[in-house]
Amino acid sequence: MPPVPPQVQQLVEALVATPPLEGYLVVGAIMFAIGAWGALVRRNAVVVFMCVELMINAVNLTLVAFADYLPGAGGLGVSYAVLVIAIAAAEIAVGLAIVLAVFRSRRTVNLDEVNAMRG
Amino acid sequence: MTLVSALGVVLSRNVVHSALFMSGSFLGIAGFFVMLNAPALAAFQVLIYVGAVTVVILFGIMFTQRPQVRRYRTILNRQQWAGFLVAAGVGAFLAYVLYNEDWGSTRPGNGPRDVAAFGRDLLGVSAGSEVFVLLFEVASILLLVAIVAAIVVSRRKIGAGIDRGVEE
Repeated sequence: MPPVPPQVQQLVEALVATPPLEGYLVVGAIMFAIGAWGALVRRNAVVVFMCVELMINAVNLTLVAFADYLPGAGGLGVSYAVLVIAIAAAEIAVGLAIVLAVFRSRRTVNLDEVNAMRG
Repeated sequence: MTLVSALGVVLSRNVVHSALFMSGSFLGIAGFFVMLNAPALAAFQVLIYVGAVTVVILFGIMFTQRPQVRRYRTILNRQQWAGFLVAAGVGAFLAYVLYNEDWGSTRPGNGPRDVAAFGRDLLGVSAGSEVFVLLFEVASILLLVAIVAAIVVSRRKIGAGIDRGVEE
């Protein structure tokens, strides 16, 4: 077997090593921000739902990271994450039903044009 | 990979591409769950999100499809830069706080490693998790109500014709 250069060895060690808690938290924060940005700026209602799902997943990731890393948590955050997934599934079903109803009456899913309840 | 896919959801011009990017992002999250000693939750993630939610969203896209838009001006609303500033501010604030907070003695491996312990936690049998019995039942009722509500909201009115819509 040819000798492995030290840079490659360091890279492999860095990839195999356990990441710190802050890594998961920062990934979750950035993903939440991306989801919030998409939910704010996109016009298609279905894409807005996808971005809401992204935010829910970011929060789930943070929850599970805390449950695994904090000694006092006892791993119960994973159970909470299951409940969050169930509620998100219910939300996506009702939300898409509302989008379908709006599309059926308005022929559009563009959020700028749905202003029937504007005061 | 997760973050690149999440950016793809926001920035892709085709709605179907957005949905596929979203499923890629959820797969990345499932990988994180495996790294965090929660393989059962990763399985749930793959089954529910990558399977069910993506299919439901593609279904919704199929119903509401319009001619494809080609320019960013048509997919973003007018508040795009204000929205970007707000979201970047929120992300930077969250990352700063979460990174600089002293979380005490953190070490991996506190989670329920095997599925049996995870199931006992979820059903409220083990000590300290009694509240999950209530939450489990509430979640089941909520799912039932959501199914009924989805059917009621999205069904056609009787005698309304085949997907004719209301002329404005």
